[in-house]
Amino acid sequence: MTSRHGGLPTARVPDASMSLLNDVARTPLEPAYQTVADQRAREGRRRATVRYRTMSGLLAVALGLATTSAALALRAPQPAVLAARAILEKQIGERTAAVDGLRMQNAETAQKIAALQATVLAARDSPLVEQLAADSVLSGASALTGPGLRITLSDAPDVGTVVDPDRRVQDVDLQILVNGLWAAGAEAIAVNDHRLTSMTAIRSAGSAILVDLNPLVGPYVVDAIGDASDLQTRLARVSAGQHLATLRTTYSIGVDVSAKRSLELPAASLPELRSASVPVGVPLLKGSAGAGTPTGSGSPSEAGAG
Amino acid sequence: MIAVLGLVIGVVAGLLFEPTVPVSLQPYLPIAVVAALDALFGGLRALLDGIFDDRVFLVSFLSNVVVAALIVFLGDQLGVGSQLSTGVVVVLGIRIFSNAAAIRRHLFKA
Repeated sequence: MTSRHGGLPTARVPDASMSLLNDVARTPLEPAYQTVADQRAREGRRRATVRYRTMSGLLAVALGLATTSAALALRAPQPAVLAARAILEKQIGERTAAVDGLRMQNAETAQKIAALQATVLAARDSPLVEQLAADSVLSGASALTGPGLRITLSDAPDVGTVVDPDRRVQDVDLQILVNGLWAAGAEAIAVNDHRLTSMTAIRSAGSAILVDLNPLVGPYVVDAIGDASDLQTRLARVSAGQHLATLRTTYSIGVDVSAKRSLELPAASLPELRSASVPVGVPLLKGSAGAGTPTGSGSPSEAGAG
Repeated sequence: MIAVLGLVIGVVAGLLFEPTVPVSLQPYLPIAVVAALDALFGGLRALLDGIFDDRVFLVSFLSNVVVAALIVFLGDQLGVGSQLSTGVVVVLGIRIFSNAAAIRRHLFKA
C-alpha cells in the first residue's frame, strides 16, 4: 500500500539549526568520564602507581588552593580601588583648599585695586571717579547699602503628597519680578544675596532655580535698592505686579513685600574684562609690557552683549 | 578519591592561609572560578553516575581553568574580551545548570 509517505521518512531533527546549544545542554558531562568507564569495564581496573597517586594528589591540592584563593581574591574589596579613592578624596580636598585660598587672594587684590584706583583718580580726575562710582553701581562691581524694597517669595505648602510644580516658585516668576523691579527704577537687585547684573541669568535646572549659576533654595528674598514707596507703586503698575497677585491668589505662593530702611547688597562676582581701549590722548605708562600699543580690542557691541 | 581529598585539602589550605593572587592574573580569575565550578559539578555528577575517575576529573578541572583563562587572555588581546567572557560564561552556565539538574535527579529522584 502506497501512502503519501512513499519513501523513507527523512530523519530530520526539527531544531537542527540549534545543534550547538543542544550539544551544550544535552551533553554537559565530560565524555571522557564515559570513555574511561567503558574502558575500565572492558579491561578491568588498573593498579595506580604510587607516583601517579602522588602526582594527582598534589595537582588536586594545587587546584583547590588556586581556586579558593581566586574566589577569595574576587570577594575581597580591591585594595587598589580603595587606595585610589582615598588619593582622589585627598586631591579633591587639597584642590578645594587651593581654590578657596586663591578666591580669598583674588578678593583682597580686587579690594586693593579698587582702593588704589580711587586714590589715583581722586587726585587727578574727580568727574571720572564719579562716573566710575555710578558705573560700578550699575555693573554690580561694588557692594551697596541703601533703602529699598524686600520681596519674599515662598513655595506654597504641599497639598497631600502630590508635588505640584505650579505651586512652587519658578524661575520665570523671579525673572518677571526682577524685570519689573528694574522697570520700576531699582538701582540694584540681589536675589538671596546674589547680586544681579546685566549679565546675570535666572534659569532653572531640574527643580532648582539658578541665579548666576548658583542654585538657590526657597524662600527667595529679592532685595531692590531704590525709593521703597516709588518702587512699590510703579511695580504695581507694570505686569510684574499682576503676576505677583496671580501667584498669591491662584497658586497660594507666599508673596511678602516690605519696605526696608537699610538693605545691604553684596558686590557681584568680578566682571570679566571683555573689551578695553585706550582713549585718545591718554599717555601710556612707561616701561609696562606692550607700551605704546593699546591692548585689547573688540567691538562695543560685544561689551554690551547679554 | 585521592583527587577529591587533595582538592579538599587545597581548599582548606586556601581558606586558612589566604594566599594573594598576583595582580597580573586578576582579570582571569572570574572565568577561571566559573570553569572550576563547572568541573566540580561535572565531577559530582560523574560520581553519582558511578563513572567517576580521578584522572578525568583532574584533567578536566585543569584544562577548564587554563582554557578559560586563555580565552579571556586571547579576547583581551583581540579587543573582544568582554564578549568572549560572556560567551564562556553562558556555555559554562548552561553546563553547570544541566549538571546540577542531573545531580538533583540522582539525589531526590525528581
